[in-house]
Amino acid sequence: MTYFFKLLGFLVLALPAVAEDYAAPRMPWGDPDLQGVWTHAYLTALERQALFPSLTISEDQARNVERMGADLLANIDKLPEGDLVKGDVGGYNSVWMDPGKKMLRIDGKARTSLIIEPENGRLPYTAEGGKKSREVYMKARARNNPEQLMLGDRCMVGFGSTGGPPMLGVLYNNNYQFVQTPGYVMILVEMNHSVRTIRLKGERLPADIKPWLGDSVGHWEGDTLVVETTQFHPQKLFRAAIAHRFMSTTDTKVVERFTRTGAAAIHYEYTVEDASIYSQPWSAETIFRPSEGPIYEYACHEGNYSLPGILGGQREKERIEKSEG
Amino acid sequence: MDEKRSSRRCIKAMSALLAVCLVSLSAAAAESYQPPRLASGKPDFNGVWQVLNNANYNIEPHGGQAAMALREGPVVPVPAKEVLALGAVGAVPAGLGVVEGGKIPYQPAALIQRDKNRQNWLTSDPEIKCYLPGIPRATYMPHPFQIFHNDEALFFSYQYANAVRNIYLTDPGPAPIDSWMGLSWASWDDDTLVIKSSGYNDRTWLDRAGNFHSDVLKVTERFTRTSDHTIYYEATLEDEKVYTKPWKISMPLYKRVGADDRIQQFNCVEYVEELMYGHLRKTPLEK
Repeated sequence: MTYFFKLLGFLVLALPAVAEDYAAPRMPWGDPDLQGVWTHAYLTALERQALFPSLTISEDQARNVERMGADLLANIDKLPEGDLVKGDVGGYNSVWMDPGKKMLRIDGKARTSLIIEPENGRLPYTAEGGKKSREVYMKARARNNPEQLMLGDRCMVGFGSTGGPPMLGVLYNNNYQFVQTPGYVMILVEMNHSVRTIRLKGERLPADIKPWLGDSVGHWEGDTLVVETTQFHPQKLFRAAIAHRFMSTTDTKVVERFTRTGAAAIHYEYTVEDASIYSQPWSAETIFRPSEGPIYEYACHEGNYSLPGILGGQREKERIEKSEG
Repeated sequence: MDEKRSSRRCIKAMSALLAVCLVSLSAAAAESYQPPRLASGKPDFNGVWQVLNNANYNIEPHGGQAAMALREGPVVPVPAKEVLALGAVGAVPAGLGVVEGGKIPYQPAALIQRDKNRQNWLTSDPEIKCYLPGIPRATYMPHPFQIFHNDEALFFSYQYANAVRNIYLTDPGPAPIDSWMGLSWASWDDDTLVIKSSGYNDRTWLDRAGNFHSDVLKVTERFTRTSDHTIYYEATLEDEKVYTKPWKISMPLYKRVGADDRIQQFNCVEYVEELMYGHLRKTPLEK
């Protein structure tokens, strides 16, 4: 444990040092330049799984995890011969998936969770908060009304917390375009072409207006862009994705910090605060790195065959059960 | 003698001065407005912009009518029952239109299709289902849009349906796949921003009146700043499957200022769930 604290202390001390050595490029009006298309797709999950003893693991262990990840993807494409198993039509094959191939590494050390606080790398739900998050999730599985399904299934915003804030990875489309103008930082979220229009030193929206991605106001602290967000849409509750999931409420407060730490890196850390469901604020960090290409259109609602399929399938199931029962 | 020389010199000086004056006057006339500029010296298009016309009802000139969806009445057409309850809120104000020459040069079969679209507006207009608007319709929807502009990036963020366009600053080549908002790239014609776009699918319309295009649509838009608060906007549409020749729309765009200098969220998917999926609820509501 002492070693763990030392390591954490080292990391905390080491980060600003990296930032100091590097002079971020500037926009013509002087703000640090964060522009470009970035990704934060990693195999490292938001929460630390029980099999990992600490925040970091050795390079050998990290490569093992990466190999397992690659095998998992490859196996998805190996469908059995003949008819599919009854009741399971399968999902995407691997060509549609892009969850990241590598674990997150910060200062060369592979991370086992994005969460750095609390130290156990787990979401600090209160008993009540944990219960609420399970209830919301189960309600979505009831498939009674479109408004109760996951926001991603409804094409309202992307899956999980891809648009955030905080912005977390999902199974694919983990790309973001940053554009800056005097007074604004605009972030295009690839999944569902959600746009985060961050007003620098702006005033908060009236309390009655609760956008899907909350209301974000930013300012520069030195070379770090600090963005505070709250007033989330009341239906934005459980942000469900495969590797990164957590619950939030309308009043959840998120503070994000973006720092350009290299030509190919934006350090991204965030703190999530909500006393109604968490026993303490939790914090996480990751690195945005340059994406391989431009972002193309992700039109979701226009081709949403899944939502009527989910609801219609459930109605059909009920009809069969009724006629059989 | 000296007097003569000095008066001649004086005349020379005066005519030179006059020439300078005339030259600067004509220059002032040619460049009557100097737009704000980016670091590179190119005009700056940052801001929240919106039209003040009703082209989204119908880009051709049109008189007012009781509703977009009408049915036969005993004397004149009356609102269709689906929209009757809206009263004056559902009525269509007259519009001068934005099409150069007034009429879109449709091929005969396309004109028949346009009229069918108009007839089936309630079930066919992509706007009713909150589908992405395409170009040029996104420009004159009754919603503002924000342009984010600097020398390295040009990005349009539309309030309606969270539609977006990232405008490439060099020719990206043909679109890899058709899309709702197309593939756009910018160039400059002096101080005019020229955006060429293609790679559209055939599912967007040009307005609520059924005017449409196919998947070979090419749009050339021209944005010229004409004052601190206006852009003169032109778009030329080419589509050999639908029109007999290229044709043009034009209109001013207005800059929103002060407290209005913001776009709000109009995700709009949440507003059509009852319309699109209501029949699939466990307990459907009464229609």
